[in-house]
Amino acid sequence: MKQGTGIGALAERLRRRQIPSGWIVIPVLLILLVILPFVWKQPFYVNIFILIFLFGYLATAWGLVGQSGQLSFGHAAFFGLGAYTSTLLYTQVGVSPWLGMLVGAVVAVIAGAIIGYPTLRLRGVYFALATLAFCVILQIYVRNTQFLGPLTLGASSGLWITPYAGAKGPLFYQFASKTPFYFIALGMLVGVVSLSHLLNRVRLGYYWRAMRSDPDASESLGINVGRYRLMTFLLSCALTALGGSFYAQYFYFISPDRVLDISLSVEIVLVGVVGGWQTVFGPMIGAFIIIPISHIISAQLGSTLFGLHIVVYGIILMLFILYLPRGLNIPVMRGLRWLEAKLQRQPESSSDKPRRKPSGYTGS
Amino acid sequence: MAILEVSKVTKRFGGLVAVHDLDMRVDEGEILGLIGPNGAGKTTLFNLVVGYYQPDGGRIVFQGHDITSLKPYEVCQRGIARTFQTTKPFMDSSVLENVVIGGFMWSHGTAEARKTALKALGMLELDDRAETLASELTVPDRKRLEVARALATGAKLLLLDEPMAGLTPSEKAHTADLLRRVSEQGITLVIVEHDMKVVMTLCSRIILMDRGEKLVEGTPQEVSSDPKAITAYLGVEYAA
Amino acid sequence: MVEQVGAALVIGILLGCLYAVVAIGLSLIFGIIRVINFAHGSIAILFMYLGFLLWRLWGIDPYLSIIIVVPVAFAFGYGVQYILVRPMFVREKTYVVEPLGVLLLLCGLDLVISNGILLAIGPYALAVTNPYISGVIQWGGFLTISVPRLILALVAVGLCFGLFWLLNRTELGNSIRAVGQNREAAAICGLNVHHIYALAFGLGCAVTAFGGCVMLPFYGIYPQMGIGLAIKAFIIVVLGGLGSVPGALLGGIIIGVVESVASQFMPGTMALIISLVLFLIIVLLRPRGLMGTIEV
Repeated sequence: MKQGTGIGALAERLRRRQIPSGWIVIPVLLILLVILPFVWKQPFYVNIFILIFLFGYLATAWGLVGQSGQLSFGHAAFFGLGAYTSTLLYTQVGVSPWLGMLVGAVVAVIAGAIIGYPTLRLRGVYFALATLAFCVILQIYVRNTQFLGPLTLGASSGLWITPYAGAKGPLFYQFASKTPFYFIALGMLVGVVSLSHLLNRVRLGYYWRAMRSDPDASESLGINVGRYRLMTFLLSCALTALGGSFYAQYFYFISPDRVLDISLSVEIVLVGVVGGWQTVFGPMIGAFIIIPISHIISAQLGSTLFGLHIVVYGIILMLFILYLPRGLNIPVMRGLRWLEAKLQRQPESSSDKPRRKPSGYTGS
Repeated sequence: MAILEVSKVTKRFGGLVAVHDLDMRVDEGEILGLIGPNGAGKTTLFNLVVGYYQPDGGRIVFQGHDITSLKPYEVCQRGIARTFQTTKPFMDSSVLENVVIGGFMWSHGTAEARKTALKALGMLELDDRAETLASELTVPDRKRLEVARALATGAKLLLLDEPMAGLTPSEKAHTADLLRRVSEQGITLVIVEHDMKVVMTLCSRIILMDRGEKLVEGTPQEVSSDPKAITAYLGVEYAA
Repeated sequence: MVEQVGAALVIGILLGCLYAVVAIGLSLIFGIIRVINFAHGSIAILFMYLGFLLWRLWGIDPYLSIIIVVPVAFAFGYGVQYILVRPMFVREKTYVVEPLGVLLLLCGLDLVISNGILLAIGPYALAVTNPYISGVIQWGGFLTISVPRLILALVAVGLCFGLFWLLNRTELGNSIRAVGQNREAAAICGLNVHHIYALAFGLGCAVTAFGGCVMLPFYGIYPQMGIGLAIKAFIIVVLGGLGSVPGALLGGIIIGVVESVASQFMPGTMALIISLVLFLIIVLLRPRGLMGTIEV
């Protein structure tokens, strides 16, 4: 921090009320969210928030790849791999999904390595194409496959998450009400956003900024761009798979059309872009905006007018890319700066003139 | 003591031979000037040394190790850094962040990298603008940022591609001073430059390239009096 | 057995030409504008639907509707580039854009088009019946070739030659290639780069629409087929070489043959996986593709 670190500097900043607005906004938000399920008890609301948290989580995990300067169009594949792996292990082998989801993450990482290793070393679109192709092909495969060795994949009919023998209860990721799921999802969201924030403060985050700005210059500074992008991608795959396992346990039913569909990838991309896909908080902001809207649209119209809500997604995506490519993150951050300025006691010297902060890293 | 040895290096692009059977030696601690008309192959030579291109023939040896087939990031890890003719700063990052990214090459952890970066910025007199966005810098400052960033990687050999292009004479003199300071730290510099006044005063040795080949090599006095150099590039005014 | 494989080979070549016809347009667009048209699949089927509608509503045979559909496709492609994509270039003030933003933009367009079709027409599979040309050719007792497919293959080759002639033997083609090779230099020489970009996009769409019409006599259409065609086209373009039109034809034939022969021995889904594996191998070993010239 340019004002120096240490307790003395901290006290000085508190005296001058130079508090990063994040220190206020985030705890307030967290407290509100923690109280929410006890105040607004209707399952409908709890469900929407669980979806918001889940998509915020997924979009943030997806956004890590964006921060490294590449674009994945097939993240649903890793979501589905997570969902299917933990479900198969739970319903057909009796392994607790808490463990199964870790296995799912491993499976996703292996798949990601196969797709990512050849393509992330290259410029441009190979990676995007490969992830898209992988997602579509995986879906077609699962749709058409009833059995995989001794395990039943269920083809397009999908799989129900029915407990294996007597394997029930919290130890097996099963809860009687929505509330535990709410807190798990909230925890996941907080965890992944914190991870993104922390990574940005260490070498990896600096390298991300370099790689997405200028890969050639990065290489000349000793950065093995392909390797760091691959590492980031594998992390993203693992996290996304964990999200898939959560989905399976919460919704009790998975099928290729729900967890492996390209529209899921699209929704993740949309949430990310709307919020600001190369930022830390952007995807989360995007989730808070898009998911309620999407829920309303598909509830009202999805069953009668096929495809309308995806048309709307497409239009929103295009509009944002054309007119607000950095997403809503910018206005939100501007709002936070305004809050900071309001709080700050005016200093004696005018050296703290408002200066546009480098968007390198402040979460914006 | 040679820190870099380029032996019989050739690079072809389709039918065009950009670098032809070139031998070059860079001694440790010197400031070597690389001059020649545009298209002589100077930048191509840089690209070959750092691994951006693979040579079609010949070897490149740095500090006794063969680096011919290494990739650019590996070459940097060995201790060679380069700047670009058209500067390539990380536009959305501050000056300090730009150099910190270079600093991570040999510093562990963010705090140490920042220290390294601040030192490099100090040497290039950019530390007062550490928080400025790179996109807001003037051209001379960007050139200095390039050098600071390369310096922060802890490189022993810096390849500077036209670090003075576009600068006014006083800016050039100032930058030359800064580069001299860098050299005094024990770092070897190879500079591509067109301004002969700068080259004569700054460089201890000069290599003149033309059409992919080494034409003349020697001290500034030797080169400026060599008839081949005069006809190929220098013109009569610079003749000694 | 040999006859079966031989038959599969021929079928594969014909199938490959079908894929190639979609891929050629994609390759052209990339070669000139350096943009992968993520909307290519849905644009392809958009004009197939147009051709279908012309047949359904006014009885115009697909082979004839080419006269209407192709110019419309050209205009559409021109418009898409000029109106949607150009602002991205202008904003960056360059002629070569960081591809990710454009990717997302065209992805959005793809969603709008393919789901727009779904919305307007419904999820039904549709097909043209009684086209002017139909029927089969029998050969040797084991090979049955559908005539419309054969015509498509000939059209694919013809389009390839036609584009080659256009790009290499005409003034316009020279301009287009010049822009594709060095945008700034072309601009300095007085070429309107954005106009040429739009021409290239329009041409890519027109070529694809041409092929699409010729596919209608034997290929049923449904709204979700765009993505499947697109993925095959992407794989082919990478295989054949980004920016190379003959490469797209060659790549298409290879993929078609591989799929056709493979499906003799294993279920269809595995054949798709083989295409993906082939893609990854190419990217691993020779990213610029078989005939590509663009450095990666």
